[in-house]
Amino acid sequence: MTRYILKRIGYMIIVFLIVSFLMYSLYNLIPSDPARAEMEGLKKSLKPAEYEAQYRQLRQEMGLDDSLIVRYLRWIGLWKDVKGEFNGLLEGNMGYSRFFKVNVVDAIREPMKNTIFINIFSTIAALGITIPLGIYCAVHKNSKFDQSVQVVTILGYSIPIYIIVLIFMFFFCVLWRVFPIQGIKTPGITYANNWEAFVDKLYHIALPVIVMTFSALGGMTRYVRSSMIEALSMDYIRTARAKGLKEKVVIYSHAWRNALLPVITSIIGWFLGIFSGSVVIENSFSLSGMGKLYWQGLNNLDFELVLAIQMFYTVVSLLGALLIDISYGLVDPRVRIDK
Amino acid sequence: MKKIFAMLLVLAMAFTMVSAVAENNDEHMLIYGCSTEIGGDFAPGAWWTNNATDKMIRDLSNDCGTVVSNQGGEYIMNPTVCESITSVMNDDGTKTFTVKVKSGLKYNSGKEITIQDFVWTTLFACSKMATDVGAKLTGYLTIVGGQDYYDGKADTVTGLHILDENTISVTIVADKVPYFYDITYAGFDAFDIAYWLGEGYGVADDGNGCYFTGEPTAEKIKDRLEYARFNAGTDRVSTGPYNLVEFDKAALQATFEINPNYAGNFEGQKPSIKKFVIVKAESATWNDAIKTGAFNFYDTLTDGNEINQAMDIVEAGGFKYVQFDRPGYGKIMFQCDFGPTQFKAVRHAVAMLLDRNEFANTFCQGWGGVVNGPYGTGLWQYQEAEEWLDENLNPYTYSYDNAVAALVEDGWTLNEKGEAWTEGIRYKKVTEKEAGDYAHNVTLADGTILMPLIIEWSSSDGNPVSELLKVMLSENPDTAKAGMQINQNVMTFSELLNYMYRDTSVDAKYGLKTYGMYNLASNFQPAYDQSYSFTLDPDLLAQGYNQNYLLDEELDKLSMDMVYTVNSDETEKYMDMWKQFIARWNDLLPEIPLYSNIYITLYPEWLENYEQDSFWDFSQAILYATIAE
Repeated sequence: MTRYILKRIGYMIIVFLIVSFLMYSLYNLIPSDPARAEMEGLKKSLKPAEYEAQYRQLRQEMGLDDSLIVRYLRWIGLWKDVKGEFNGLLEGNMGYSRFFKVNVVDAIREPMKNTIFINIFSTIAALGITIPLGIYCAVHKNSKFDQSVQVVTILGYSIPIYIIVLIFMFFFCVLWRVFPIQGIKTPGITYANNWEAFVDKLYHIALPVIVMTFSALGGMTRYVRSSMIEALSMDYIRTARAKGLKEKVVIYSHAWRNALLPVITSIIGWFLGIFSGSVVIENSFSLSGMGKLYWQGLNNLDFELVLAIQMFYTVVSLLGALLIDISYGLVDPRVRIDK
Repeated sequence: MKKIFAMLLVLAMAFTMVSAVAENNDEHMLIYGCSTEIGGDFAPGAWWTNNATDKMIRDLSNDCGTVVSNQGGEYIMNPTVCESITSVMNDDGTKTFTVKVKSGLKYNSGKEITIQDFVWTTLFACSKMATDVGAKLTGYLTIVGGQDYYDGKADTVTGLHILDENTISVTIVADKVPYFYDITYAGFDAFDIAYWLGEGYGVADDGNGCYFTGEPTAEKIKDRLEYARFNAGTDRVSTGPYNLVEFDKAALQATFEINPNYAGNFEGQKPSIKKFVIVKAESATWNDAIKTGAFNFYDTLTDGNEINQAMDIVEAGGFKYVQFDRPGYGKIMFQCDFGPTQFKAVRHAVAMLLDRNEFANTFCQGWGGVVNGPYGTGLWQYQEAEEWLDENLNPYTYSYDNAVAALVEDGWTLNEKGEAWTEGIRYKKVTEKEAGDYAHNVTLADGTILMPLIIEWSSSDGNPVSELLKVMLSENPDTAKAGMQINQNVMTFSELLNYMYRDTSVDAKYGLKTYGMYNLASNFQPAYDQSYSFTLDPDLLAQGYNQNYLLDEELDKLSMDMVYTVNSDETEKYMDMWKQFIARWNDLLPEIPLYSNIYITLYPEWLENYEQDSFWDFSQAILYATIAE
């Protein structure tokens, strides 16, 4: 097992380097001049000669006059920067946000917290609903309840999320005034204690969580349902029932354990997804999260920020793939990943 | 199933309980919705970032400047802070400003403001420390002795002095005076040196100019500066009408409370609204957000469709609005050194083939107008010269006949064979110099070069202005009938800018003269300064200063003289040059102003005396606003 994991980590490093180079090159293909953008605000306050001198100096400081390979190696941390130090991604420097004028780590901190906070609730809620619902529908296949669930889940699955957001907003915020329409804090409120602050935050994220959960219901419910239907049609289930085992034992111990294998990929994927924010939901509800930050980074050509976010997700995805493979072995004794 | 329903019921109850707990019972709480998200950088000026909402927050929390701008955007001495500002031209061409500040001014903490607090930011702007901590400050280029101090060749800034406990003098380098807006050089603002740089630092002057005491270095001050820059709370030392008591980074929400120690603005005005909150407004949901009370103040709606929605909200009751003109316009911009757009008559013809009034009306949905020169109707210059502008500028009224007449007079009378034009695209016989390497040129067997009336237009993608221009100009039947063809080339906005700037640092292809026409927008600042915008200097042209590539000596001279030969007290002389500049521009027409929007701000009806304008934003207007009894 250890050997297998080490081998996979080796592959991961190679994939990471390839992806990082491709991403870096891709962003450098975009025709923009970061030094020019940085200096634009000073153009009117400086004499042309002063402006040009400062612009040239800034280009040098930013290393923009060097080749793409040198810039990439500097960014990744395998080449000395203009100050003569190794100070790149591999040394833990995720870069500097040209838009926010802070280190990328500082720009990411708060949005990441918000995203994780929201996603934890929506992931738990979605899994808490979809797994039992999928199992129930599979066991009661073609019942009226099952058919109703199929209709509702296909709706959630098919309707674009921005439409769902607007519909839920209209009913829950505008018509019924149950939830606030935006933000994660009541404006101007003074909390008596942390519990009140926590509760207020929960109240504000309730609708985004409901929207995210509703959108996620379709896929997972149908996935669990079909996986369970397949498992329930197996001979060993008939055997288990013939042995006189209780239906609960048949469903949860025999069928569900076997149905879990294809589902586990999605479940782990969901948990890894707690780091990534939704551009549509965060923008619609005015939440400061990773999706919105990423969108802002792209809009403002803040490539160091965008690249750092993408490389973070690359690492998360690679680790996720490894976790999924390992978990296969744990869930299904037939799979032996170390062989 | 029963369990699932029970769980859902519990959840619903929990949310109901939560909503009861979280309700905010503050009556008449002003909640300001801003379209630009708060960045959280509250450093003085735009030292690092220039986010619009951050700037507004800075202005709300810092207001102890010796020079401020008034309701019309004019720079004036702030009599609340200043006793006097005097200036003298020196024999060597430099100019010295002497600024005497009042005694007894205080920070929000109650601490007395000292003369050092006024001076240190200017000294900091002259020091290498500023650059080393990443601040975009260039004061060393403006003040005598600044460059030497910056380069480490001098220990003091010889042009910056503390004359006594209330008086500062600053001497400006010769090549930056006279300057019409030179009063801004006498602008000093008070920031607590201990709060921003840390304890133990100060500014002294032994007669040779100012210098820092306590030997600050970038390394030593970096952490404190970083803290002060992003900090909000009761420990934030500031001078403005409001204290930034909280900034919730997670919620991106800023809370302000009145500063009891505020001395008042330049008119002595102090705020009466005790508390307000700034939150982010989303363009897709602002309408519902304002209806449901997520915020009740929405600043500067620019889109005609949104303004009409706002009018519905006002009609439904509970809200009022204030309208003001945009200090800028959307425009067609020409590059005038190649192709057909190098000819004034062609530019005139394009203007006359577009019904600009109809365009502005359609695009702004009734909330906009048309101007005939490089100004916005919110500028004080416009307001002073409105009548003259109406009488003297050519409005280029829509006229097919006049457009054709202008083209014929300029020689666009041939077809592609060099014969008399009857239909299709018009051609003009041009010299080799005029022809340049314009791709569409035709050379006849006898060597005659004909230029077709084909204009390559660069327009940005997803831009409704481009869509409307396409319909109303390039696809206008009169355009084709007049023998003109305008080819739309859609690209990203950054690509458009690269072509416009001819920025070869990005790619050599941008250096080629490719597009003669662009559509974009520009805004004007209170300091209306067009210097270098029409320069003839080849080096500056290469640096992208004259983006129109309009090489006209008179226009260049006027744009420079207007600000660099006039002192700040010579308003009449300035206005005379301003009018000449506008008239010359209107004749040469390097741009066609398309629309100048009318903006509105929506606010609750219980808010009274709120008057906003182009250069008089929320941070200034809120001081005069009151809450109805």
